[in-house]
Amino acid sequence: MNRLNRAAAAARHAAAWLLPAGRRDWAAAVWAEAHQVPPGLARLAWRAGGVWVLAREALMPRRLGRVVVFAAAAAVAAWAAWPDSSVLHADADQFGVIATVLLLAGLPLLARRFFGPVSDSRIARFLRAASYAVILALMPAVAVVAPYPLTVPQRGAELRVFIAGGNATHGMPGTSAGGPPWPGEIFFLALTACYVVVILWLTSRRSSVAPATLAAGTGAGIVFGLVMYSVAPLGLTQYASNPWLPGSQVDPLVALAWILLFGGPAAAGVLAAGWYCRRPDSIKLAQARAGQGIVAGVVANLVGALFVTVAGTGIIALTIKVARLRPLVYHAAHQSEAAAYGHVLHASEHVGTYVVMCVAFPLIGLVMSSLGVACTMPVPRQSGPQPGDGGGGPPGPEPAPDPPDGGRRAEAEADADRLLVPV
Amino acid sequence: MASHPRFSAQTLSVLAALCDQPSLWQHGYALAKQTGLKSGTLYPVLIRLADQGLVEACWQDEPQPGRPRRHLYRLTAAGLASATGALASTAGPAPEPAAVRAGARRTRAAPAGRGTVAGVIP
Repeated sequence: MNRLNRAAAAARHAAAWLLPAGRRDWAAAVWAEAHQVPPGLARLAWRAGGVWVLAREALMPRRLGRVVVFAAAAAVAAWAAWPDSSVLHADADQFGVIATVLLLAGLPLLARRFFGPVSDSRIARFLRAASYAVILALMPAVAVVAPYPLTVPQRGAELRVFIAGGNATHGMPGTSAGGPPWPGEIFFLALTACYVVVILWLTSRRSSVAPATLAAGTGAGIVFGLVMYSVAPLGLTQYASNPWLPGSQVDPLVALAWILLFGGPAAAGVLAAGWYCRRPDSIKLAQARAGQGIVAGVVANLVGALFVTVAGTGIIALTIKVARLRPLVYHAAHQSEAAAYGHVLHASEHVGTYVVMCVAFPLIGLVMSSLGVACTMPVPRQSGPQPGDGGGGPPGPEPAPDPPDGGRRAEAEADADRLLVPV
Repeated sequence: MASHPRFSAQTLSVLAALCDQPSLWQHGYALAKQTGLKSGTLYPVLIRLADQGLVEACWQDEPQPGRPRRHLYRLTAAGLASATGALASTAGPAPEPAAVRAGARRTRAAPAGRGTVAGVIP
């Protein structure tokens, strides 16, 4: 019996680290109370109940739940993205799938050590979960789209369009040259790792990125992504004949997309900086304020790039896999199937542009939000008495400072140092 | 009429046990005996009630020699109001603690260590 009690105690100690901080007292409470229970089966049953409480509180709703959801989503994504071993570069593609899943699973564990756990704010959790969902969704989409421009159609009009498009040297009909070779795969992995690390840092507790900053950046990014996607919803092609847009290159929406690409991060940066601290009264706070603004701008274009990439690549992959969809999405009065195939082929050939966007957009966001924040940076107030503060009498007690920004200034001061290091 | 949250039968039995002497802090084992619930059921109920602000918990000030400090529970003001309403609005008689239903005489003796927490009771 003692052995069983010891085993139950060991199980409790092993599982205690899984508990969120607010639940550890409860686990200790069940265990402490076991000393009041008569020894024997009753005490063992009490402790078994305690282990159940641990499992219920720690494993099921929190970490285990997230792990199970991630594992299921990753398994589905990997299964859908797993390349046929008959195509060229299949080994590189298979390595890419495995490495992406390992990156997504392993980097949070590493990040937890350096950045701390995920922030408590809803927006941080949403951003982290949504980014993971986007990256997982991209895996099968890329696996479908990447080999498509190099897959020779078997017969008919599609084969003629393929050859006419200058793709005559890619092999025999029915064959595929596969996805990107090793250098492309490694670059894609490196880019994915960069995105994951940035997202993990932004949404971690130690980054001190304010929830309002994430909200401003994410909001601006979603608006930008929606507009950008509306400009070219069927991939980055020159064929804009689609059900949603007339396809004019001078469409006001195109102009709006350009404005949002450069102006969105600047606006998000100014907004986030203002929310963080309207009138900084120290250099340190001013620097932290600027850091929040810059982060908001980067988040805006990062979210926009992710949104456009997953939506664009996803719709191309859908039109490739579901041929019946093509006449619906390539909306034209007299469009043949061959012409629709040509559009899909053209779109898939240019899917690499999304990679360029994923690299360039956050950098543009960084530059534009820095400019925006710098242009609107208020001069820090000098501490101490100001001219015109009071008349001749003796100095009274210090007035209580206004609670600025929802009373977050003290917290902001404390966080300022930490924030500035990674920014 | 104020609406009260719907509680499970187990939760109602815990509330009923806590309602008996709402100003006193009670131990988990005593509650388990009163309600007849196992620890694996009782503590999740207490955790949910604490999360909802209906129950407050604290640690015993001075532990018994050779034993760890015990965790203590009692209803908050909101918890008392909610429990009273919920128990009153149940169709039949208020769910009695299992020990009472079984006809067993409820242990009225103060649990060990209660005296040491008297200072905690406002």
